[in-house]
Amino acid sequence: MNQTDRPIPNPIVMLREEFDDWAVLYNPDTADAVGINPVGVAVWKMMNGKRSLEQIVAEIGKSFVEVPDAARDEIVIFVSTLAENGFVGLELERKA
Amino acid sequence: MGSTIMPALNTLYFYLTEGCNLACRHCWIVPHFDATGQHSPSLPVELFETAIREAKPLGLSSVKLTGGEPLIHPHFRRLLEIVRREGLRLIIETNGLLVTPEIAVEIAESPNRFVSVSIDGSDAATHEWVRGIPGAFEAARHAVINLVDSGTRPQVIFTVMRRNAGQVDAMVQMVEELGANSLKFNVVQPTARGENLQKDQETLDIADLIALGRHVEQDLAPKTKLKLFIHYPLAFRALHRIANENGGGTCGISGILGVIASGHYALCGIGEQVADLTFGEVGKDPLAEVWQENAILKALREGMPERLEGICSRCLMKEPCMGSCIAQNYYRKGSLWAPNWFCEQAEKAGLFPASRQGTTSSQDSFTTNGNAN
Repeated sequence: MNQTDRPIPNPIVMLREEFDDWAVLYNPDTADAVGINPVGVAVWKMMNGKRSLEQIVAEIGKSFVEVPDAARDEIVIFVSTLAENGFVGLELERKA
Repeated sequence: MGSTIMPALNTLYFYLTEGCNLACRHCWIVPHFDATGQHSPSLPVELFETAIREAKPLGLSSVKLTGGEPLIHPHFRRLLEIVRREGLRLIIETNGLLVTPEIAVEIAESPNRFVSVSIDGSDAATHEWVRGIPGAFEAARHAVINLVDSGTRPQVIFTVMRRNAGQVDAMVQMVEELGANSLKFNVVQPTARGENLQKDQETLDIADLIALGRHVEQDLAPKTKLKLFIHYPLAFRALHRIANENGGGTCGISGILGVIASGHYALCGIGEQVADLTFGEVGKDPLAEVWQENAILKALREGMPERLEGICSRCLMKEPCMGSCIAQNYYRKGSLWAPNWFCEQAEKAGLFPASRQGTTSSQDSFTTNGNAN
């Protein structure tokens, strides 16, 4: 099966939201953790294996005010970095 | 086990004199009271030069001049000349009493400099209750003014305790009006006089300290031109502050070494209190040998952060934090790996942030990603 462009969180990773709307992603298997900002939290919550990365970028554009032009690239880098570190995978194609 | 790559010795902390012209209730160094600096041992100039000369090949780029009060060193101006001559970044921690306009101008001759002035109240009565000497408040305020007038915008350091906690907001206003660059809120460390202050219940309890940190980071920082910092362990600092600013709360021991007034190398100023943490004599013991071979420094390089104990062993921030203050932890428990008192008390009170705790005790690692905006 081929990978799609639909990111999906590693189900074992915990999202731990904090008082300032930032959050910690914690992988208890590897003991790795990463701090993410409020946009990162929103991206994380939108990743469900059904939305493509482009759809997520578009929804972020609607959800936040004054989204800079560089947002798309930053979100792509953010998701790629999470994928490289095992926090995120890409949904596999399913046979019809 | 941690990396054993030899880190650079970035900064020497010079505790220049065993005397101080104030008698602060919370001091962790406990210098002798000495209004003029004539009656206390101070580091000889030649040892100051020797330590710098031997440290430069190890990576030295800055020196911190502290004390006791560094400005009562009988040859303070000569020390400033040496720092300039060697092209080093100059860091000074002072109570401000001797920062005259002339000294402020001389400090400003160092192109790369950072000065902090301690002020522990927004009025004279409060500051002088903490500092022990009448007139200290106006002198400290004038020190800030003299520094600003000569081109150095200092940091003001305010150590929070029960007596002055109600003045935090007023301090922000006062320090902003004085023209300082930043304001740092320190927590009283239970070392030496600070330990007595805690026993006398003159310090804030852990819940109040955590609430104060939130107030500073969430309420006050966005409303002032000053940079505000609260110096408590990293696990309590807001992630957006960690990602965007350098605010302290971590132990810098991997790149620093203390030189105390007796002429000994030490972990830091704790060497004045704890003989175990002194490492040899300037001029007698080659600094390269001390830095590379001292058993305690080697143990720290090999064991941090994995060997940290208690709550620190489970904390996701342990790698950058390193127990927050190894000197304080050792003073309290006699172990390099002891957990930090602040985090331990917070855990006991159920106030340690659950989001910052791992579920394993040995290999947690933490990064921040502030770019997805």
